Amino acid sequence: MDIDDLLQELDDNKVLGGTRDINDLTQSWIAERTAPEILPFQTALLERLMERIRQQIELVETQTGNLDPKTNFCLILLQTELERVKFLVRGYLRARIHKIDKYSIYILTTPSIRGRLSPPELSYLKSHLGLLNSHFLASFLRRFPEQLRRLDDKAGGISMVEEPDLDGAVFCKVVRDIEDNIARIPGTDSEFKLTKGDVYVVRYSAVREFVLRGEIELI
Amino acid sequence: MNNNNHSASGPLTPAEVAFLCEAQSVTIIPRQRLDGLDLIGGYIPPFHPPQRTTIPLWLALLLKRQRRCNIVPPPWLSAPNIERILKTETENQNLFCPDLPYRWLETAELLLEGCPDDLGGDDGELRVLLRGLREVRQGKVREGLGKLEATYLQMNNLGLLEITEVRGFAKGVVDGLRKIGASTGVGLVLGWMMMISRWGWCFISMVFWTG
Repeated sequence: MDIDDLLQELDDNKVLGGTRDINDLTQSWIAERTAPEILPFQTALLERLMERIRQQIELVETQTGNLDPKTNFCLILLQTELERVKFLVRGYLRARIHKIDKYSIYILTTPSIRGRLSPPELSYLKSHLGLLNSHFLASFLRRFPEQLRRLDDKAGGISMVEEPDLDGAVFCKVVRDIEDNIARIPGTDSEFKLTKGDVYVVRYSAVREFVLRGEIELI
Repeated sequence: MNNNNHSASGPLTPAEVAFLCEAQSVTIIPRQRLDGLDLIGGYIPPFHPPQRTTIPLWLALLLKRQRRCNIVPPPWLSAPNIERILKTETENQNLFCPDLPYRWLETAELLLEGCPDDLGGDDGELRVLLRGLREVRQGKVREGLGKLEATYLQMNNLGLLEITEVRGFAKGVVDGLRKIGASTGVGLVLGWMMMISRWGWCFISMVFWTG
């Protein structure tokens, strides 16, 4: 094995890495769109991809002056792919922001879920909630009596804090062989076996653990 | 923000399913030389016509539109094969044929639209067969939904686009049955209590509001 082989191997790794990253991001996007709760932020994955996007944009910018038709055509292809990847990244982030807006107080008050947010998402959540709070207060809440002004009121047996419905039905696919492959449905005595390749419609709480471990993919 | 093609929440729309489908690989016969391309999603090796090569479907469709390549249809997408699968599907009412890939319907649609001339002769016949196949399977899906249970439902060998089509309904039924199950017995009493307390709260705040 000489130096060329080693270089080739390095290149192969890089190439496979890129394909894998895109696949992972696609899967994260789908999962975020279908899971009722917010899932852990893919910090390392997004960092790698944002860096690649930056490099690619730089390449396009430096090459745009080139008038050779062949290079020009290659640039069109590069840009097309760039748009596709950017669409995925945007879709992923927007799906998360949607959930952050919807369940903001719940996320903020549950430490285990709050840890799933990236630092920018967390600061967005806080400032957005602050803005909403002061807006509500200024426009109508201040006319309310003191004890009815809270947005996280739990009085009267009903909570104002909206929480994700973990029992909501999801579509999922078993992607790996699982050792302990019996899924139990909480609150009932029914259970079912998970075999690789199976597709199920089931409440999220029954497969939540498997999804977080990556053994089941949401579709 | 929430038009049909693009939304931030909820399951994927059919347009997004088609977008995902374009990421899979397909074999082409290039008609022109092209240098290697270093894409984010992987390296595309240089084209040496007429040597076959494998590239993502979106790129293949783009090159095809500019008549820079021909697409080699996947082996399952041929009239005789679809006819065989259609026959199996019609004969076995309780089975979804496992010989179709996960993204069969989307892939077939995209290829029929993007490169009908590469699909080996009569694409009209293929269209008819595919439509027949789709209808047979849809019929079975609808029948399966009739037997839906509150807890879980198995849907093996169903394509992604087919799942997307029934997903809203199936999810509604599973969620609805769950709520009905929960509201019997203790759940029902609790539900009523919650309702009463909610209205009570509204009533109190109205009194304060008007007073």
